[in-house]
Amino acid sequence: MRTWYRNLDPISLIAWIGLVLFGLVAIYSATHGPASEVASFEPKDNFNKQLIWLGISVLGLLIALVLPIRFFQLAAFPIYGITLLLLVAALIFGREVNGAKSWLYFGSTGIQVSELAKVGTVMAIAQLVGIRRPKTMDLKFAFMLVGLIMLPATLIVLQNDTGTALVFFGLIPIALFWSGLEFNLLLIMISPAIAGYLAVVSQTWAFVFAVLFTGYMWWRTRDKRIGVVSAVSTFGVAAFTQFAITKVLSGYQLARVLSFTNPGDEAFRQNVGYHQVNSMAAIGSGGFAGKGFMEGTQTQGGFVMEQSTDFIFSVVGEEFGFIGTMIILILFATLLIRLVQLGANMKHPFGVMMAGGATGVFLIHVFINIGMATSLLPVVGIPLPFISYGGSALLANSALLSIVLALHLKKDDFSIYGY
Amino acid sequence: MDEGRSRVRIFSAIVLIILGTLSLRLVKMQLVDRQSHTGKSENNSMREHRVQAPRGRFFDRNGTLLVENEPSYTLYVTPFYFDDETIPLLADLINEPDSSVARQIELARAFSLHRRSVVRSGLTLSELARVLEQRHVLSGIDYDITQKRAYKTDARFTHALGYVREITAARLAKMDDNSTYRRGDPIGQGGLELEYEPYIRGAAGADFKMVNIKGQVVDDYLGGKMDKSATSGMDLTLTIDADLQAFAESLFVGKRGGVIALDPNNGEVLAMLSAPDYDLNLFSSRLDPKTWSDLLNSPDEPLFNRVTQSVLAPGSTFKPLIALMSLTKGAIDENYTYFCNGGHPLGHGDFYKCLAKHGSLNVESALKESCNSFFFEMMRLQDVNSLHDFAAPFGFGEAPYLDIARSEINSGLLPDSAYYNSRLGEQKWTQGTIMNLGVGQGELLISPLQLARYVAALGNGGTMVTPHLVRNMVDQETGRVEVPEIDPPNKIDVNQRYLDIVKKGMRRVITEESYWLEIPGVTSIGKTGSAQNPRSGTSDALFILAAPAENPQIAIAVIVENAGFGSGSAGPIGSFMAERYLTGRINPSRDIYMKSMMSRKSAVVDGN
Repeated sequence: MRTWYRNLDPISLIAWIGLVLFGLVAIYSATHGPASEVASFEPKDNFNKQLIWLGISVLGLLIALVLPIRFFQLAAFPIYGITLLLLVAALIFGREVNGAKSWLYFGSTGIQVSELAKVGTVMAIAQLVGIRRPKTMDLKFAFMLVGLIMLPATLIVLQNDTGTALVFFGLIPIALFWSGLEFNLLLIMISPAIAGYLAVVSQTWAFVFAVLFTGYMWWRTRDKRIGVVSAVSTFGVAAFTQFAITKVLSGYQLARVLSFTNPGDEAFRQNVGYHQVNSMAAIGSGGFAGKGFMEGTQTQGGFVMEQSTDFIFSVVGEEFGFIGTMIILILFATLLIRLVQLGANMKHPFGVMMAGGATGVFLIHVFINIGMATSLLPVVGIPLPFISYGGSALLANSALLSIVLALHLKKDDFSIYGY
Repeated sequence: MDEGRSRVRIFSAIVLIILGTLSLRLVKMQLVDRQSHTGKSENNSMREHRVQAPRGRFFDRNGTLLVENEPSYTLYVTPFYFDDETIPLLADLINEPDSSVARQIELARAFSLHRRSVVRSGLTLSELARVLEQRHVLSGIDYDITQKRAYKTDARFTHALGYVREITAARLAKMDDNSTYRRGDPIGQGGLELEYEPYIRGAAGADFKMVNIKGQVVDDYLGGKMDKSATSGMDLTLTIDADLQAFAESLFVGKRGGVIALDPNNGEVLAMLSAPDYDLNLFSSRLDPKTWSDLLNSPDEPLFNRVTQSVLAPGSTFKPLIALMSLTKGAIDENYTYFCNGGHPLGHGDFYKCLAKHGSLNVESALKESCNSFFFEMMRLQDVNSLHDFAAPFGFGEAPYLDIARSEINSGLLPDSAYYNSRLGEQKWTQGTIMNLGVGQGELLISPLQLARYVAALGNGGTMVTPHLVRNMVDQETGRVEVPEIDPPNKIDVNQRYLDIVKKGMRRVITEESYWLEIPGVTSIGKTGSAQNPRSGTSDALFILAAPAENPQIAIAVIVENAGFGSGSAGPIGSFMAERYLTGRINPSRDIYMKSMMSRKSAVVDGN
């Protein structure tokens, strides 16, 4: 029974469909109820636009499924190049939306090119791994890989879209992880992020983490260099973060970084902290079963800003309660774990990295977006994959998923390389 | 083990750790801390709007609707959402000066940033419509439909009904914690609106509304599940006859004074009027401060209820009581005569003068002639404490019951020897001091309401009735009828033979004193009087009447200020009212005089 669709994975498809449908329901509620009265634009369009983008994404999936497997590898660098060009074009010709110059307009249709750059970048690093096949400590490879990611990330920082750039930075350790590098290296690469985060939340905890981490790395490797690097990447980063908070950052920037630690504080109340207070009130008041579809008082009163895009999770939390938020998290867990399994099944570094990169992108988005909505993290304007309103993001995320599914569908074609 | 597999495991673990952390966060937010988040969310989006209960309606004794409620629109501001830049626009829409709107906003801000305050009440529908057209610009502005009093008849009933105002902050502050009054609630002020407040007020309900971030109501909160509807207040059936009241009011146009008509059988008030009065509609919508200060400061005292609050010397209307006492106490008998030589011999100059030289008079003719000399003599023969003890059961010297606020009822003064001792000193007063009481002058102070009870008792054979304005109260929802509890009639022990003599005298007042007092086809008894008053000008004209004499159905006391003799204006007013009530019309032969009464103005009334 070797039917053609034998390797088309139903589990990840179902999780994807579930997330997209849930997203449409939330977008509908945020734009068709009384909430639409407070929006400054015609929000009912959003739902219909998202449907059109969903149609395009499905079409993309179908096309990906019929394309030959070699296409993705061959097209990886050209697509990466095109997305870089688009990023540059956006810097020059782009339109500024919410302070970020990352939108290119074709007629009335806007494309957020930084979203498309994610696809190009993941394909490029997958192709790099596919042709290079790095060993455990290939530093040259590591630099090339970091370079591939930093190039678009830098352009996006220049566009003033820090949130999306963060996703690229977060992709670095994940890409290195899937390249087969040593774990110690990975731990050291992740540690500054943790130390920095803890330094913002609590200096004590940052110090405790730095001591434990440095001690552990020293105990594990008995290597002086590793110990020094560990200390620098934890103590150093924590100290630098403290320095930045107290001496460098000021006003709005500082408020933005700090407000999540105490969003209700009067000092933050009038800016970003207010979003988080209202987002938490929305999610928390949803309780176990939620207030019901189109019944969320926070949502329908328009109290949460950007509730159809970056803060869509507050709509889910308020109207569908704990049940709703858990369904979302379970769907994401299923999708992410399933995708890396599919990647591993392909037994080819291109496929492994495509799946690892795609899940990495999704995971960073999910963590930052929900972390922000629940005040675990500062306000960072990035969407929740498949759920938030936003055509470019839906298309880009679906493209990543489609490529992984397409590769897995034809994974037997990889076998001649005997990996 | 396969290197790739182990990385899948590690990565899966990282995914689960991260998503698990988020799950724990959600457990805390949505399950553990739910209450506090719910509180925050309600603060944001839930607004309780008080739903005012419709106040009870008023009907007259024949079921004519007098007072009901009609919608009125009140504009509110929630300062947090309000933009001061829109003040000129808002002021323009509601026809107010910018400064006054700005002041309201300032007051609202001082009260609360997040709770709404009244910007302007008593909006017309068209004003409201104009505001609503601009609602998208006027953030923080919303409205409610409230009820205002609507008066359905031509008659005004001003002092009987009283009016309704929004409760003041000072009043509210004085109420105890269990009070169900809230800011913005209406409360009765004066008259029946005040006295029956607990019955006609009803119970306010509450609507829970969902507001958006601009403070505008977008929907019912939780589909209205928590809403509580208001309960209407009880309807009052009044004892007043709307037709008689309207007639009385037309007779009092341009005059100062008052009239009260009672049913002598049960004390039901058939009409009650104090003139000048004022239009209650002034109070049912926004009352501008100037109108209010005009009402307060007018020399005509329109806010003053002359029927219950003004007390004055009863003058000759007191003479029937003196006559009845003199006969009862045996000071004189029915054959007694006294010779009037134009004054009492104890007097000289202007003291103890009579209006004429009446010659020889028995008690009946003395009443008819209203001979002062005769009644000075009566008090020369008797002492003040006898008068006090005899007059007190007729309700003098104590505040009569009427179902309006006690503060609006004056008890008057019925002196006794103790009073004179304390006022003038022991041994400092003589029989001569009290002889003035015989003609209803001196220290006596009596209100028209007391006079009406008194003449009712003379008419009905000595039964003191309890005047009241409300016959019953009807619960609008259950139909349950409640009758207010009042004191039962009190029978005074009077000698009917002597009373008949007095009534014969009073009958002759009607038939002989003035042509306009006699009601065609109805026998009535009455007494005119004039009372000196502390104001300048002519004395006040008084008249009391009960009819029909054999079985009285109406007892009336009339006062017309500064109108001189009772027979000139007060008398005809009482006579016309009794005729109208008993026969339903005015005999055509009296029509011309009635019309001239309506257009006659008493001296000092200014303005209307």
